[in-house]
Amino acid sequence: MTAAATDRAKTDKTAAPAAAPARRPRDLGWLGVPVTAAAGLAAFWLFPEDLGLLTRILATALYVLSLDLVLGYCGIATLGQAAMFGTGAYAAGIAAVHWIGDPLALLAVGGLAGGLIALLTGALILHARGLTLLMLTIAVTQIVQEVANKARDWTGGSDGLSGIDPAPLLGLFRFDMFGRTSYLFALAVLLAGLLVARRIVRSPFGLACRGVKEDPLRISAIGGSPKAYLVAMYAVAGVFAGVAGALTAVTSGIVGLDSASFSWSAEALVMLVLGGTGRLYGAVLGTVSFMGVHHILAASDPFHWMLFIGLFLMGVVLFLPGGILSGIERLGGLFRAKGGKA
Amino acid sequence: MKPALLEVEGLSKNFGGLQVSSDISLSLHPGDRCALIGPNGAGKTTFVNLVTGVIPPSAGTIRLDGRDVTRLPAAERVRRGLIRSFQVARLFKSMTVREHLELAVLQRDGRTFRLFASVARVPGLADEVAGLLDIMGLGAVAATPVGSLAYGQQRLLEIALALAMRPKVLILDEPAAGVPHSESQRILDAIDRLPKDLAVLMIEHDMDLVFRFASSIVVLAQGRLLCRGTAQEIVADPRVREVYLGSRAHAH
Repeated sequence: MTAAATDRAKTDKTAAPAAAPARRPRDLGWLGVPVTAAAGLAAFWLFPEDLGLLTRILATALYVLSLDLVLGYCGIATLGQAAMFGTGAYAAGIAAVHWIGDPLALLAVGGLAGGLIALLTGALILHARGLTLLMLTIAVTQIVQEVANKARDWTGGSDGLSGIDPAPLLGLFRFDMFGRTSYLFALAVLLAGLLVARRIVRSPFGLACRGVKEDPLRISAIGGSPKAYLVAMYAVAGVFAGVAGALTAVTSGIVGLDSASFSWSAEALVMLVLGGTGRLYGAVLGTVSFMGVHHILAASDPFHWMLFIGLFLMGVVLFLPGGILSGIERLGGLFRAKGGKA
Repeated sequence: MKPALLEVEGLSKNFGGLQVSSDISLSLHPGDRCALIGPNGAGKTTFVNLVTGVIPPSAGTIRLDGRDVTRLPAAERVRRGLIRSFQVARLFKSMTVREHLELAVLQRDGRTFRLFASVARVPGLADEVAGLLDIMGLGAVAATPVGSLAYGQQRLLEIALALAMRPKVLILDEPAAGVPHSESQRILDAIDRLPKDLAVLMIEHDMDLVFRFASSIVVLAQGRLLCRGTAQEIVADPRVREVYLGSRAHAH
């Protein structure tokens, strides 16, 4: 018994350095919500002229976050996240035009619609893996877009759905023409989304999903059903994407066909990879940098901005393989190591 | 004698015209420590795959704890207590040792669809995981990602993971494969600490380990069950010498 104890003490020493890197992301995760909130409020005061763009960035961050839940935590390769975003946006938009004024209720409608379409299509396509699955997710997006295009009476077709005029938030705050309410509303929804997502990835369900991502067969060997986890997480992410779509509809007042497009799916993937997958805050960071750089470049050089965006992406992918967030983590580790020596 | 936990009767499997398992019958009782041996290609892996439900048998029945499970899928057999460990450690590389055990326990209890609970606060989970870590001597590396664990420790985790599922019948597929001979004793010690009422079937090449572990030995050759007996009986059996020890001596 004592021999075993000393044995364990020995392995303890060797195991300590290996255990350290596993804890680091958790420290960052704890900081994420207050940092995002502070940065969001700072931007509110620093760029009062750009609140429209900033609101779109926040709603998009929530959308990219939904992709992180499926790609980063379940390993589902998808180019169909816009199907859920678009469905949520149209559902909220149509509800706003015909029946509902309350912005929170509209978000709920969008989340429900996004979750339902994800549940239905997920149950149909998630038995597939890899390229086959990728094709199927693209197909779903195309179908959703085509339905939106054909149902002109409801969606406005290629003209877009307009006339979304939500009631004051909580009955108190009007959506003003400067977009202040919209921005703060979007920031609050994103923060709530981050908190809920963080809760989910740290739950027993999140743990099981990480297991599925690494080795679905091993999950079967401990008695679990990989597909059930995949479909459930796909539906949860669908709710997030649907809320993001509804948020965009409510704050911008318009829904277009591009909200359920292939390119919108692909852009989410680009932003997520840019920020870093499987970390939640990578989604926020990736969205802010991509859309920020996009905006600045497009304004300063309207002819060649696409080229610079491409170079920027190549630079990040080549030199920061884990995305911007991994670069920040490495920097943090470097400082910590230096501090330790000094 | 207590009723058998696992009863295999007349189990056969052909792939086309090739008969890889024919008419194997075997029963395991609570507390059994049985080793399954046989030369390469004897059909040991096929037998394990048939029993655990990875591949369907061509004929025969499998009863677990008195119930027919021949037609049940693999995951359902796992839920009923028929658990195996893998020959090549098959683990979730980026997850820590503790997370593996938490996942196995949560899965066993059907708690993995809780979306808003915190793993850290599931009642009883931390204690049970601590107990499992202790049995296998893995407490010191609980927070280490499995990818950076020594291979011997990964093998111990494989066994801990199987144990976390509260097996009735545990099939250990070469639990010491790839572990240096000097360390295989630690694996055996861990196996010694398994609950006594468990039925354990170990597939193993290393005769040293087999003799130290098993109270009975089953010899498989060319897809058939050759004989079952104690270590002394098996060593003395001329048929075993011919098919197994003979070919083994030849290989060396």
